[in-house]
Amino acid sequence: MGERRTMTGGRAQALQQMVERHRWDLARQLALFAGIVAVCLWSVHVIIIEGTDWARIGSLTGVLRSIGRFLVLDWSLIPQLALPMVETFMMATLGTLLGLCFSLPVAWFGAINVTPSKAVFYPLGRFLMTLSRSIHEIVWALIFVAAVGLGALPGILAIAMRSVGFISKITAEAIENIDHKPVEAIRATGANNFQVMYYGIIPQILPVVLGTIIFEWDINIRRSAIMGLVGAGGLGLTFFRQMHMFNYGGVTMVILAILVLIILGEVISHYARKAVT
Amino acid sequence: MTMISFARSAQARDGSRRQWSRFRYPDSLFRYAALLGAVLFIGYSIEFLGIDLARLLQMFGRIGEVLANRYYPPDVGYVLQPDYLHSVLESIQMAYLGALFGLLLAAPLAWFASYNMTPSRRVLYPMARFVIMGSRSVHEMIWTILFVTILGFGMLPGVLALTMFCIGFAGKLLAEEIEAVDMGPVDAIRASGANAVQTVMYAVWPQVKVAWTGIAIYTWDVAFRAATVVGFFGAGGMGWYLKRNVQQLENERVAAILLSIVALVIVSELVSAWARHRVAKARRPTALQGRTVAD
Repeated sequence: MGERRTMTGGRAQALQQMVERHRWDLARQLALFAGIVAVCLWSVHVIIIEGTDWARIGSLTGVLRSIGRFLVLDWSLIPQLALPMVETFMMATLGTLLGLCFSLPVAWFGAINVTPSKAVFYPLGRFLMTLSRSIHEIVWALIFVAAVGLGALPGILAIAMRSVGFISKITAEAIENIDHKPVEAIRATGANNFQVMYYGIIPQILPVVLGTIIFEWDINIRRSAIMGLVGAGGLGLTFFRQMHMFNYGGVTMVILAILVLIILGEVISHYARKAVT
Repeated sequence: MTMISFARSAQARDGSRRQWSRFRYPDSLFRYAALLGAVLFIGYSIEFLGIDLARLLQMFGRIGEVLANRYYPPDVGYVLQPDYLHSVLESIQMAYLGALFGLLLAAPLAWFASYNMTPSRRVLYPMARFVIMGSRSVHEMIWTILFVTILGFGMLPGVLALTMFCIGFAGKLLAEEIEAVDMGPVDAIRASGANAVQTVMYAVWPQVKVAWTGIAIYTWDVAFRAATVVGFFGAGGMGWYLKRNVQQLENERVAAILLSIVALVIVSELVSAWARHRVAKARRPTALQGRTVAD
């Protein structure tokens, strides 16, 4: 108390304000948590208590039995898996490369320091980046299956379109962050625009772009494995067929094949990333 | 080194101007070989997959034609119906619950799967890594189909599929964040005799709190993006309407649904960006800031 009495009025007031602000922060955090929990309870009520047909699910043993059907592996499927695996792998690779081709103009439009027009092309580039990422790969695949028919081509196009957003966003950020001195130096030697780009800008953004492509390729293997569900080829088609034949052991085999492919992709991308950096 | 000096002395001897190139001789050879290999691989893949390149060229015209003839006037009235709006709410709820459950499960897994903080490097670390990698590598649509097969149609399988997806997605990011903490406070708390849980509580949590909040918001955003289509394979929400109208060839309704999905995802992305920005501004800068997280 003695300490408090000697305090000047201003300091006491400041202290009071700090205490109040802290209390206000605490109250706000508490309200936020209460809100999160309330929405959670409401959603649980709607989805799990009212929205679920518990009679259809049946008892726990029933559920376990249907899980058990997936665990009886169907080894005879292995010879049929090799070709779709290669197809999935190629679809992911071609899709990533095509996505890179589409990304370059989008990144050029969407990087503020090199964009041809800040009023028109910059917002367009940014919009294309968001659009590409906000449409799910399944939806892209549906659109392209409608446009070019069944087969691997719609899958490649869907993967390419889905990859554009991420690759072009990172590339645009890399272009925005380049060091301008090498560019000026190259220009000072009398290089034309193309040479400035090739010797001044590309070497600076190349490591970032290559790392991004490897990363995206890794994700695209996962994506291309489901393209078959809506009519593009690859492992998804095998999955779809096994599911419709109610051959649940075969379904598990397909999932294991996807896992093998993804582990392979991780290993390759690990070494590729090491080689790049 | 000897190579370069040899080249230099050779140049000095004959005194002629040499053509400058970015890559020197053996390096350039490797680069051309790699390029050639890539081109051969692409060519072989196109051959193997039986891609008709003529169709690729016709594609742009065809897409325009298809969009103009079949999808053009989107049936906006359809997406404003109460039934459909209710399914939008369902999708949001599914994404919310899926992300929440996924994050609750991912947080301890991330702790086990971070090499610097894991309680046991022999057992828990590889196990947690395997769980996170496994749920990451199986696509959310495959999770949906599996859960729908086991549990039947409805929103519950959708929530479970999103939970699995979020475990893989958030678990990796959260673990990376733990691996990047400053070990000084950790050593200090450990030296005071704290056990593993106390160390995490007092040394790790205060460091990763802000970044984890950002990751949580981002996870919700990505889960919502997935929740809009899980219905396509029998879980509830907007995807179910999409599937039904695709099968009935109600293309104008499909167009309206797709537009509504794009609009909602863009709105959710804006909300999540705003929330992450606020969280990041409230505290010190984090790793998530300035780094684009992969979707």
